[in-house]
Amino acid sequence: MTRIRPGGLALGAALLVGLVALSGWHATQGTTDLGLQELLGWLGGDASHASVIVESRLPRIAAAIVVGLALGAAGYAMQTLTGNPLASPDTLAVNGGASAAIAIAAVAGISLPGIGGAGIAFVGGLIAALAVVAIGRGRGSTTQMVLIGTALALALQSVTTVTIILNEQETAGLYAWGVGRLSQNGIDTVAQLLPIVLVGIAVLLVLARRLDVLALGEEAATTIGVGVGRLRLGTLIASVALAAAAVAIAGPIGFVGLAAPIVIRMVARRIPGAARHVVAIPLAALAGAVLVVGADVLLRAALPGTASLDVPTGVVTSLVGAVCIIVLARTMAGAAETESMSVLGARTIAKHAWLPIVIAAVVLTAMTVAAVLLGDRLLLLGDVVNWLAGRAGDAVRVTLDTRTPRVAAAVLAGVALALSGALVQAVARNALAEPYLLGVAGGAGLGAVSIITLVPVAAGWLVAGSALAGGAIAGVLVLVLVGWRRLGSLRLVLTGLALSAATAALTSMLIVITDPWNRGKAIVWLSGSTYGRGFEDVLPVAIAVVLSLLALTWMHRDLDLAQLDEATPRLLGVRLTAVQIIALAIAVVLASTAVAAIGVVAFVGLVAPHAARAIVGARHRVLLPLAALLGGSLTLMADTLGRTLIAPAQLPAGIMTALVGIPYFIWLVLQAGRSR
Amino acid sequence: MSQRILPARPVLAGVAVLTALALAACGTTEAPAESAAPGASSEAVTLTDARGVEVEIPAEVEDVVALEWAAVEHLQVAGVPPVGVADVAGYTDWSGTGAPLEGEPTDVGTRIEPSIDAIAGLAPDLIVTVLGADDAAYADLEAIAPVLVLQGADAADPIGTMYADLRLVGEAVGGQDAVETAITAYEAHVEELSATVEEAGLTGTPLAHMDGYENGGQVEIRPYADGALLPAAFESIGFVNGWPGEGDAQYGLGVTDVEGLTALEEGTHIVYMTVGERDVFTQQLASNAIYTELPTVQAGNVHRLPDGIWLFGGVESMTAYLDALVAALSPAP
Repeated sequence: MTRIRPGGLALGAALLVGLVALSGWHATQGTTDLGLQELLGWLGGDASHASVIVESRLPRIAAAIVVGLALGAAGYAMQTLTGNPLASPDTLAVNGGASAAIAIAAVAGISLPGIGGAGIAFVGGLIAALAVVAIGRGRGSTTQMVLIGTALALALQSVTTVTIILNEQETAGLYAWGVGRLSQNGIDTVAQLLPIVLVGIAVLLVLARRLDVLALGEEAATTIGVGVGRLRLGTLIASVALAAAAVAIAGPIGFVGLAAPIVIRMVARRIPGAARHVVAIPLAALAGAVLVVGADVLLRAALPGTASLDVPTGVVTSLVGAVCIIVLARTMAGAAETESMSVLGARTIAKHAWLPIVIAAVVLTAMTVAAVLLGDRLLLLGDVVNWLAGRAGDAVRVTLDTRTPRVAAAVLAGVALALSGALVQAVARNALAEPYLLGVAGGAGLGAVSIITLVPVAAGWLVAGSALAGGAIAGVLVLVLVGWRRLGSLRLVLTGLALSAATAALTSMLIVITDPWNRGKAIVWLSGSTYGRGFEDVLPVAIAVVLSLLALTWMHRDLDLAQLDEATPRLLGVRLTAVQIIALAIAVVLASTAVAAIGVVAFVGLVAPHAARAIVGARHRVLLPLAALLGGSLTLMADTLGRTLIAPAQLPAGIMTALVGIPYFIWLVLQAGRSR
Repeated sequence: MSQRILPARPVLAGVAVLTALALAACGTTEAPAESAAPGASSEAVTLTDARGVEVEIPAEVEDVVALEWAAVEHLQVAGVPPVGVADVAGYTDWSGTGAPLEGEPTDVGTRIEPSIDAIAGLAPDLIVTVLGADDAAYADLEAIAPVLVLQGADAADPIGTMYADLRLVGEAVGGQDAVETAITAYEAHVEELSATVEEAGLTGTPLAHMDGYENGGQVEIRPYADGALLPAAFESIGFVNGWPGEGDAQYGLGVTDVEGLTALEEGTHIVYMTVGERDVFTQQLASNAIYTELPTVQAGNVHRLPDGIWLFGGVESMTAYLDALVAALSPAP
């Protein structure tokens, strides 16, 4: 038996005491006035409040504890498995799969007798995680799996949003579930899933010693004779089952599976013997439970009675988790090391740079024309000519009056996001950096939604202004938290992801609180829609694009140097810091005005610059124009498809960019892995 | 990749394809400039809608598009069934029993994002919707036709708001007489039902109308608090609202969980409506001891109303609702 040293035991005991204390407090909170006295009475044999305590209070505590235990243990194992501190149930698409399954089941009217909605969530989560593993299997680094998982999670989230938009009546309540909450209908769900959680944790403990060896490195493990393949498979199945059980019980409780293990890793390193998996996994599980119960207690203490029902627990865990990760990213070993983004662009596909640019320009022009003609109502060029000449009939006039600003919004926002992504990648020298992953888009979205929900008549400039303020605050926050010299590091992506999650949680909370019976508008807006856009809404992003293009023609050579390393530009007399600050400022302005124009659109800022770099290389003179053209085309295509495919109903552009961009992104990740 | 790409060829090919496409897309879908100035504006009416905006509506309104289900019903009552309706399938499921759809209106998309193209294609004289969209969306619609925005709901005076919306629609489409007849008929029906309720000895019975939602095994309950249309309607025939909680300022809707149901007084009847197989009250809650031990449930006082009565609708929906309610609570003759 492994010798357990007192340090680990003491930490475990402290967590356990904290958990018990929090649970006791938790039991006194609820939607009825049933407090400590009644609770003690029940313990003393008074049956008058038994049903509430047994069917509501205790199941909720049980749910919180079991979910926390499962997520904590699963997250720790996944991190060891992938050798990546970013790995967690969230990044293996378990939550996304569960949400999508629940949404589809709700619309199709499917209900599984016996296991019910929780069973559907479990199956959905399991399938999604297995898909991630299947796609990423055997292809280079396990970071890829995390990237693929994150992408798939976004895609599945889009599926959920689509079903909510198209079936408003049937999916009422799904939005709040999707943010993660603990309310329970009796103990059944927890009781059904508890065996899975216990077996999952037991399996991980049995594998603990071999995981210790795996943590030293795959080669070391193979040398010692550990069957790495089977160990991987066993750990993966156990941890995915744990995560799926958690989402089945409480919906997607965000970040617990990421934050709890990281905390334990940090602390355990200072306690002799505690870093062994047989100790660390239970500790991470306990930390997860404390986090979930604590978040729920906090929520119910701050908003007593039914008020807390509107704010899902997942919002609070996301905020707590985000703070944890940001703090830890500053101190974590290895997170500060910078790596050069050399994955793509070393070999270019095209020999002449101008050719792809010309083709892309022609394609974008053709698509723009097509987008103006296509839609719920198909128009012909003659209609457009009539409209331009001011002699179109009413229907054509109105259609084009509303369609052309939407086309303009899609193109310009796509261009802005692509340029923004290219700039951020150059400055950060980080292949994963983009306005969305860095929290800048999320901050801009939060700023815009605040104005939209708080000021009912908010106009284009006001929304753009608050988006800009939100994006700038998020950008500055990332810079301050990460540190100027650490932009190329894992710390940047960690901090950005945390900020993204926090802004998304706050945005959800704002929507749920201010507009509980009419969330459709905000959901659509958040998924990136051009609906109802007029030319006045497009103007800010148009101005931002024009001004930054001017600035970039002047500074593109400096960017070429800036993306290399720290030393070269300085040797050549470039004032690197000034270049970086200007480039980042431009990137924030571009991303924020784009978000103000069409909402939070993911992946364009990542995919377009990557594709451009792969095609014409890393010189910004050719990279920036091509990225801009590709970004505009992608967003425009997404918007056009969204307007056309299921007309007269329509889908937000952001959903379509996710569905179009994600397969490409996954291909890109796999490609990069192969070339390594 | 070939050693040397001939630059001209793909570009030329692209241009050729584009030209072909452009030629194929030539022509128009309508005759240019039908200078149809809609109606002589001598008889046009100007109405102030729920936004406080003065809406000028041409005389002889014929083609109307309704973007909310309550608006559909009001228009039908006023004698001008809409030619375009948002989410026709949803209307049929959720409102079709109380106020069946008249005619065969065109589907103009979702209630969240109705299709401007589809609405413009119908060339309506008037668009009726309910408060909730943003100004940009109204601006797009106003380019097509005058937009009349209804209040929809106001917890300060739910029945009065329903009447006011209906009368506004009546004035807009020249159906004042039909509207007044409908209101008089509704009030007469309320009188009759009060008598029936009285005879059945049900006057003063507390009712709690609630929606139940299930997601991933979790149950959420949304009771209709004082200020919601339903309690106001059933109180007018002699019942009282048995839900003690508070609702929001517009729809009067509250939120609670199963534990919160213990606030129901003994003797309260739970009433609910849903569509299709998803029935939280007979499925998810059947195994919950808090629910099954409620005096209301023990006494068998839980009633599911027929599918397809829109609970935020107008006089026809409310008539159907009250009829269903009385039928559900009265002992079978």
